[in-house]
Amino acid sequence: MSESSTGLQFTDVRKSFGAVAALRGVTFSVREGETHGLIGENGAGKSTLLKILAGIVQPDAGEIHWRGSRLHVRSPREALERGIGMVYQEMLCFENLTVAGNIFAGRELTRGGRLLHQAMRERTQALLDELHLPISPDAEAASLSAAYRQLLQVARALAFECQILVLDEPTTALTDAETDHLFAVLERLKARGTTMLYVSHRLPEIFRLCDRITVLRDGGFVETSERRAVTPQHIVRAMVGRDLPPRATFEPSARAESAAALAVDGLGRRPCFRNISLKVNAGEIVGLFGLVGSGRSELLETIFGLYPREAGTIRVFGESVDTSSPRAAARAGIALVPEERQRQGLFFNFDVRNNLVIPDRTIKGDLLVRASRERREAQELVNTWRIKTPGVEAPPDALSGGNQQKIVVAKWLATAPKVVLLDEPTKGVDVGAKFEIHEIVRREAARGAGCLVASSDLPEVLALCDRIIVMREGQIQGQVAGAEATEESVMYLATHEGAA
Amino acid sequence: MKKPWQAREFSTVVILVLEVLFFTWWLWPEAGRSHPFLNTDNGLLILKYSAIYGIAAVGAAIVIISGGIDLAPGAVMALAGVVGAHLFVVENWGLGPAMVMGVLVGLGSGLLTAVLVVIVKLPPFIASLGVMGITRGIAFIITEGQYFDVSSRLLGGWRPLGLPADWVAPIIMIVLALIFQVFMTTFQWGRAVFSVGGNETAALFSGIAVGRIKTSVYVISGVLAAVSGVVLVLVQGQGKADLATGYELDIIASSVVGGASLAGGRGSVIGAVLGTLIFGVLRNALPQIPGATFYDRLIVGLVVIVIVVVDQLLLKKRT
Repeated sequence: MSESSTGLQFTDVRKSFGAVAALRGVTFSVREGETHGLIGENGAGKSTLLKILAGIVQPDAGEIHWRGSRLHVRSPREALERGIGMVYQEMLCFENLTVAGNIFAGRELTRGGRLLHQAMRERTQALLDELHLPISPDAEAASLSAAYRQLLQVARALAFECQILVLDEPTTALTDAETDHLFAVLERLKARGTTMLYVSHRLPEIFRLCDRITVLRDGGFVETSERRAVTPQHIVRAMVGRDLPPRATFEPSARAESAAALAVDGLGRRPCFRNISLKVNAGEIVGLFGLVGSGRSELLETIFGLYPREAGTIRVFGESVDTSSPRAAARAGIALVPEERQRQGLFFNFDVRNNLVIPDRTIKGDLLVRASRERREAQELVNTWRIKTPGVEAPPDALSGGNQQKIVVAKWLATAPKVVLLDEPTKGVDVGAKFEIHEIVRREAARGAGCLVASSDLPEVLALCDRIIVMREGQIQGQVAGAEATEESVMYLATHEGAA
Repeated sequence: MKKPWQAREFSTVVILVLEVLFFTWWLWPEAGRSHPFLNTDNGLLILKYSAIYGIAAVGAAIVIISGGIDLAPGAVMALAGVVGAHLFVVENWGLGPAMVMGVLVGLGSGLLTAVLVVIVKLPPFIASLGVMGITRGIAFIITEGQYFDVSSRLLGGWRPLGLPADWVAPIIMIVLALIFQVFMTTFQWGRAVFSVGGNETAALFSGIAVGRIKTSVYVISGVLAAVSGVVLVLVQGQGKADLATGYELDIIASSVVGGASLAGGRGSVIGAVLGTLIFGVLRNALPQIPGATFYDRLIVGLVVIVIVVVDQLLLKKRT
């Protein structure tokens, strides 16, 4: 096996967290110099595998070999010293430092304890030139766009003799153009012979970039295939272990007549958006599409009362509602499923039960916590929305990302809201969970709620929504009926001035 | 469901029991003499002085669970005590009204901290540090360096409801601890406090009135500190401005030893009260060990670290 003596070889790697087996003996190899895609649903074990490679967690059993020699990484620092560079999904960036400061953070060049600023700046400049990044080593990281921060991580990984570059969902926060830039850099690295392990939920990216693709499912190895030899459909089947049912079709005409669940008129909050008027009918799913910075998250958060509105009215089923706080908005029947589930959606000091019932109990204004009744209600929600959890008493960090997201959705739907606002409801979740979350949204609409879904995932918007409103630079650019919308027509509105 | 021995409070009780057993053995007297540590009077003494810390620790623990910190309790205790004593001794108010005014001082200082944290949006550390300076400063201004002799006006001693004065502080502590334990564990309000401490952003996004919850915890902390200040004046018999200096750190340490996380979202009121008892026993027993006089602060510091480290190791093992 020439492959195993030169490349990166995982042999029977196992890891359990308590009773949960995250990896059940994974064996596969990455050829030296190739770009290897690693794909699987949330909970498939990708993250654990990467954490082992990065030295953040230690495997219970199994070995990793690189170029034939045992790779035993005990700490993230050791990983760097062994030539493993990591680029994470969340951007780890020191906003208070300069570009050069970020690249050398923790590994500053020093002589006799003094920092060698000039040397670090020069090496940073060389690195930036090599990656064709038009930024200054002295720029504050806080001033960089999301894409450049992500590229800064790539540069950081490459600064120290990186032999294996591991990228974990690096495009989650990037727009398409920014993704293109990242990919151009990765292509150059590939040409230089860097071995890359690329983890993503996004099949098009995997197919665009990778030479071979390994699929994990439920902590086990499913298959490794040549990209040229497989289709996306085949990979999806391998990931979920079944065929996805065909998408439900909807009857937009039947719904268009019904009353407006949400009517926003002349809403403004500078500098994020101005003069926004839109309507969401009962039973309708409206997409709110726009690139990062178009103001769609801010719009949803203002409707939900997180920020005061400067102008305009918000009506729910014809009645003007008080949205001075999220509490007031929630009492008026508005629910917001926030974009960042870890930061905005979950309590990690509580179990699943508390997480699921807190919004409903809070807006009902109950005095007492009735634990046994709540456990029953939580169990019902877990069953209804098929949340995979060891139990309602389990902490949310025992759940996969997709199931955590289902908790954040379910905890709001438990309040039977009249208007459901969803901000990137399937960000960073796998295909199976994504499909289920879409089903949940459809069920809410069928129940009679008005659903407004903000997303930068165009295929998602097209598949889910009856009507698509496009925002650009804080204004509504126009709208397209779901049946007539194409990627081109929506993207054209999102990117062209005065297109409406 | 959690078994009783899996609760965090259980390990605090175990530490307390081990501590008492240790000092009982260490201070075992020669044959024929009475035990200097293990006797009713000493037990009551420990309870009485621990209760001063314990009453305030109930409030401090709630603040810590909410993700905040209150550095003012020591100073609020002093100001509440001084105001109560001043009204009682100098202004000839009745004991009851004077003490109620003292407690209202705590309400005011708690509200001030809450305004600084919730509306001005200062970090709780800074807000309460400022309030600590203000309250201690006012106490000095009122007393002008003097002290108010409460005991001489309490003719015939103080027997509220016919109880011996020494029992009052422990009884208040136990009653408040039980009340707030129930509030924290079975009321929506208590769960909201845990929510805000666990993830303030998620609490806001969940419709919890974060500002109101934070206001309530600082007000409770101020009022309970004032109650313990008033009790301290009655126990010691005099009101002066340097009362309870430095108590805030012991109170915070007690809450942490009792299971509260300074990161917020974890802890218990009962645990904090048990924590003050652990320190109360140490403060009582260490000076009785010959030659340990100068070591007691050092030992108290080490105990805090050891207990918290062991707790974290156990927590890691359990999860």
